[in-house]
Amino acid sequence: MLLVVGATALWLGLSDASLAYVRAALRPPLAASGAVLLALAAATLRAGPQPGRATPSAHGHGGRLGAGWLLILPVLVLLLVAPPALGSYAASRQASRSGGPVGAFPPLADPVDGAVPMTVSEFVGRALYDQRRSLEGARVRVLGFATPGEDGGYRLARFNVFCCAADAEAYEIVIRGDPSRRQADQWLLVEGRWLPEPPVARVAPSSRRPVLVAEAVTPVRPPTDRYEHSIFGI
Amino acid sequence: MVVFPVSQVESPVRPETGEPGGRLGRLLDARLLLLLVVVALGSRNLLADAVDSPALQTWSTIFVSIFIQALPFLVLGVLVSGALAALVPPGWLARALPRRDVVAVPAAGLAGAVLPGCECASVPVAARLRERGVRPAAALAFMLAAPAINPVVLVATAVAFPGRPEMVAARFLASLLTSVVVGLVWSRFGRDEWIDRARSRLVEGDTRWQSFGQTACVDFLQAGGWLVVGAMAAATLQAFVPRSLLDAVASHHLLAALCLGLLAVALAICSEADAFVAASLRQFPLDTRLVFLVVGPTVDIKLIAMQVGVFGRRFAVRFASLTFVVAVVCALLVGRWLL
Repeated sequence: MLLVVGATALWLGLSDASLAYVRAALRPPLAASGAVLLALAAATLRAGPQPGRATPSAHGHGGRLGAGWLLILPVLVLLLVAPPALGSYAASRQASRSGGPVGAFPPLADPVDGAVPMTVSEFVGRALYDQRRSLEGARVRVLGFATPGEDGGYRLARFNVFCCAADAEAYEIVIRGDPSRRQADQWLLVEGRWLPEPPVARVAPSSRRPVLVAEAVTPVRPPTDRYEHSIFGI
Repeated sequence: MVVFPVSQVESPVRPETGEPGGRLGRLLDARLLLLLVVVALGSRNLLADAVDSPALQTWSTIFVSIFIQALPFLVLGVLVSGALAALVPPGWLARALPRRDVVAVPAAGLAGAVLPGCECASVPVAARLRERGVRPAAALAFMLAAPAINPVVLVATAVAFPGRPEMVAARFLASLLTSVVVGLVWSRFGRDEWIDRARSRLVEGDTRWQSFGQTACVDFLQAGGWLVVGAMAAATLQAFVPRSLLDAVASHHLLAALCLGLLAVALAICSEADAFVAASLRQFPLDTRLVFLVVGPTVDIKLIAMQVGVFGRRFAVRFASLTFVVAVVCALLVGRWLL
């Protein structure tokens, strides 16, 4: 069992597959823990059985593995199902998001090819909470996936992940001005301008979604890391 | 739907685990598992189409994510607990502690900070401490404090709540307070005859390397197995329970605190990983999530089972209910002050 879990952890640590579940910073520790587990497994196999040694009954189960057998479940799910990164279904289930900082946002980055590149969470944070309204008039470029919105339109969404997909928060922008229909989970690069609204007055969970008036929409391939990893949109 | 084929695959191998098993059985185990993995690798994504329901996909993504995120911390924890089992002589802590309960209980609680490990490790250690002459109240305070306030758990908490150092401080204080209060109450009202069979069998090898390896392995398999259960329960809550239901509970403050306390008991997540689950329960106020973090390492289903095994049922029932009440109250008080 140690062997299997260790090998899986090592594989996850060395490949891009883990990016659907955790942030990239976790990959070295993951690979290291995989190596440690493999070493432990090798040592246990080499030592062989210990006749007369008390089994660890203090651990609740008399068996050698006990609850340890359950460890095969995540490995099998990982290998057989290969669950994808969170998409539009999970985004549609999140009604509210946590509040962001109010007031001072740093100045916008410099435009590249005529538009300021930014993450979805930064756009949402600035649109809702920036008292200086730094987004006003700026042409921006955001990358995200389509998720069905009201009256046939769609929203551009992306998950922000602190640690792992379990704490993912969906950030969504309502897209206006795109005549074509977009399929759910289609990745899009959207250039456009913010439709200004007054900022939210205080730090509070808000279900308001800012609006981006699209000027150019390009379908693109999904990025290697489908999540954003920022703290409160900065 | 994911679970059924898995349990079928698992069942032919399971009967072997009851016995200690010879070297042959052990190798056979490993080969069977390797074969399984090779087959699984060959048929990777085979079930992906069968699991096309987005709800199930979300469930498996969250389940696997919680597990992967917690894995390095779990490995770090069992390595340190293995090293301590191999390097720290069992009598050392007992001699270091003072005799009187009023002094010994807080001291034992603080001493818990130097034993990084999850709660599965601390139950047998506490039983062993008591056996070596440490006052029961002090041993119990140590058992409650060790899994909650050690550096590994605090670092994990800091990682899970980025930008919120007060959460780490609150967890430390509330958990320490819980262990001291429970220890003192037990020293005042507890009776030694409630602890009927103090049979603590630690894994000890002939050499230091053997105790190290065996402690680490046993801890990993136990804690890892329960971590899987916790990850599945948490994923189920996130993917299937209607959001509005959780939101409704979350809006009543005291009710939410009680619910998260009970959730911590039911999920039985390893203390090295529970901070990540608490971070993901975003619809709840911060201080009720502190309740989750304080209750989890001190009383949960797997701990109660272990305490029944080590200390006896009469002890476990009284001790678990006392600890639950004290932990909820301490967490709410500290949360009101710090968060």
